[in-house]
Amino acid sequence: MKLAPDPDTRSLQALIAGAAQGDHACFADIYERTHAHLFGVAVRILGQGQAAEDVLQEAYVSIWKNAAGYRSEVDGQPIQPMTWLIAIVRNKALDAFRARARRKESGLPSSGEAGELDEEDIESSAAPAPSAMQLLEQATEALHIEGCMNALEGSHRQSLALAYYQGLSHTEVAAQMGAPLGSVKAWIRRGLEKLKACLAAQGVVAS
Amino acid sequence: MRYTNPELLEHLASAYVLGTLAGGARRRFERLQRDRVDVRVRVAQWEARLGQLALSVPAHKPSPRVWAAIAARTQPAGTRQAAQGKASWLGWLRPAGFGVGGVAAGVIAASALFLAMPTLFMSSDQLAMRSGEKLPQSYVGLLTDAQGNGKLLVSSLRHGKTMTVKVIGPITPPAAGKLVLWAVPANGPAFSLGAVPTSGSAVSMLPDTSEKLLSKVGKLMVTLEADANAAKPGETVVFSGNCAKLW
Repeated sequence: MKLAPDPDTRSLQALIAGAAQGDHACFADIYERTHAHLFGVAVRILGQGQAAEDVLQEAYVSIWKNAAGYRSEVDGQPIQPMTWLIAIVRNKALDAFRARARRKESGLPSSGEAGELDEEDIESSAAPAPSAMQLLEQATEALHIEGCMNALEGSHRQSLALAYYQGLSHTEVAAQMGAPLGSVKAWIRRGLEKLKACLAAQGVVAS
Repeated sequence: MRYTNPELLEHLASAYVLGTLAGGARRRFERLQRDRVDVRVRVAQWEARLGQLALSVPAHKPSPRVWAAIAARTQPAGTRQAAQGKASWLGWLRPAGFGVGGVAAGVIAASALFLAMPTLFMSSDQLAMRSGEKLPQSYVGLLTDAQGNGKLLVSSLRHGKTMTVKVIGPITPPAAGKLVLWAVPANGPAFSLGAVPTSGSAVSMLPDTSEKLLSKVGKLMVTLEADANAAKPGETVVFSGNCAKLW
């Protein structure tokens, strides 16, 4: 078949198109190239452990099944393959995180094996990870929008960082920051609006 | 709740992607997304914005068991020869379960695949589509180059306002200018349907329903234009094909 270039040099977009046609080798290549980063996203929300691995598995099965649904462009806006992949993993990680929170609230045991219950312990005993705020700073620096974003108050950035990188709800962010719920909601909303404006000014994503 | 206010929609889309929209509101918003392309567009834009923030998240190595489990669940059963043949669009017809055929079969199979996609961009005919008994009423066009090689598949639900353009054969991006898709009515001047991608697929909003725009259109063509917003098609026709009603 040598019409297509060597898999190594094919773009992620071409590999997704291949997977959409049922080419499992393309899919394996997508996994090879992206799984460490996507697992990082899941681990960030769920902590290292079985829950994050389950999410990663579900996400890739979904990517395989829905590869034909990937759009490289939506209404003139280019959609990077990595954006699409991150959204899939993050949504599944958020679902799992919320389900875990519900189980905790209702006092029900985890639906999995007894051994899985230690996942939170693993999270807390793992090597110190960068804080949500540090990750936000690194990302905004890399995107050259740190000056623009720093016009926001620290509490606004902090609440946005906790919601994004830890997957925390408004209530959880409020509890962690010791701030009123209403304020946290407004801070996050303003943080999102600012991010949108900064990215648009930088030409990263149109407003 | 009113879902016509653009500010509200923008706020909901951002909160949905961030993950702070929870519970019943999240589920309602997911339903809204399935039915409304403008909502999908907002969500996609927010995914693009917030996805940028994920770039600083440190990578982690999962256990090798994860890939083994994924592979076990995704390996195609039997001996499907996806890698065999000429890669391009004939191979692409196979998953739709149709015999390899000519352009007509291509259009139908392609539509079936388009419709079988679990994602969005359609609403009213979803049930018929899911049951597999009927293809939703759609306008479909298959554009080929001068040698008859399939290049682009254009599809739009009859009463929908979005159009999907999928690249089905390799297209060399032009060195200069844009590839622009034109609808050519039987009696009347051609009108532009916008620029087309040279790889992957793109979805775009139409100014009106395809029924209003395309009911008198028998032909589609792609021309090379210096200006993506050209008012009239230029001389250089790159691809062309029929526009068919799928009902």
